[in-house]
Amino acid sequence: MVKNITIFTTNTCAYCVMVKRFLDTKNHTYDVVNLDEQPERQAEALALSGALTVPVTVVTKDDDTREVIVGYNLSKLAPAIA
Amino acid sequence: MANTTDLPKHDVIIVGAGPAALSAAIYTTREDIETLLFERGVPGGLAAITDWVDNYPGFVDGVAGLELATALQKQAERFGAVIELGEVFSITDEGDWKRLDTTSGDMLAKVVLIATGSDYKKTGAPGEQEYFAHGVHYCATCDGAFYRDKRLVVIGGGNSAVQEAIFLTRFATHIDLLVRSTIKASDVLQTDLQKFIDEEKITVHLNTTIDEIVGEDGSVVKVAATKDGEPTDFPTDGVFVFVGLSPNSQFVKDLVELDEIGLIIADENLMTKVPGIFAAGDIRSHATMQIASATGEGATAALKIREYLEGRKHPAQN
Repeated sequence: MVKNITIFTTNTCAYCVMVKRFLDTKNHTYDVVNLDEQPERQAEALALSGALTVPVTVVTKDDDTREVIVGYNLSKLAPAIA
Repeated sequence: MANTTDLPKHDVIIVGAGPAALSAAIYTTREDIETLLFERGVPGGLAAITDWVDNYPGFVDGVAGLELATALQKQAERFGAVIELGEVFSITDEGDWKRLDTTSGDMLAKVVLIATGSDYKKTGAPGEQEYFAHGVHYCATCDGAFYRDKRLVVIGGGNSAVQEAIFLTRFATHIDLLVRSTIKASDVLQTDLQKFIDEEKITVHLNTTIDEIVGEDGSVVKVAATKDGEPTDFPTDGVFVFVGLSPNSQFVKDLVELDEIGLIIADENLMTKVPGIFAAGDIRSHATMQIASATGEGATAALKIREYLEGRKHPAQN
């Protein structure tokens, strides 16, 4: 089961909007870290994803294991939140 | 392979959900022609990831690409268009029906509109693939924020390269714009660009070709290039590539006729050589690669599709 979801985004990122819309359709709530408003958290996004890009979606399960999905990647995102 | 009679059937399937596709869907669904769209990326296509659209009619001060894409999508959905987030792998012509192999399985359509547009092309230089998303990028609006107070290289000299270079100045301290020959961007964009050149935010390097994107310890450190025939290094923290477009037509290359660069050839009715399969927008040969043209073509395609469907109706259905 999903415990919580965090999405790292920017103001202008279309793929971030798609991730949020997808989670909305699946009735998942999520926290948003907007890197335009919180640039100090860029290093955190980079450490999690290993990539200089957004969206980065962090799905934390009930057992506190984490899955990090880089980009708008439904083949990874859909099973991660199932 | 499933029997044809068992497969889901649709009046129109549109492959893609960019401006041409969404515009076509607005017209077809408004006329009660059931329409399903398949989008493997973002509805709105490249328009959605474009920072700012300044030349789409009706917006006095321009409009954010994402805002325009979202509005087109919502308008199409308001009339009943259904957008499925998935991919069409191939299309087979079975006469009155077209069979589509998709991420949701096989399905049939009376008409298919191919509006898959294009993706940004890669330079093919050594290091480009290796450092993708680790210093090499194709989406300024997605990844530009990682380059606050950093130095960047932008590759390309067309509208996208100039526009995205200007966008990236909100983050980067300086941008080297590497242009293979000369700037091909519109006069308006070139005028905008000059302001940033004057402010020494952007330096343009003409007659410059890329030899390698060089990294150290997993990060990009420079672009090795040839400028005016001389080897020249451009130290940088990141590279954004906008060197043209690559048509998304491979999945139908054996079905329809393509031109020499892979764009789909269609007649004056926007129909390909296969009856019932249409093409519109940036994927069509001789397209002008403009959002306004794409939405216009989408509307035209929808009206031609309606004519086609009326023509193929059995008299007993009238």
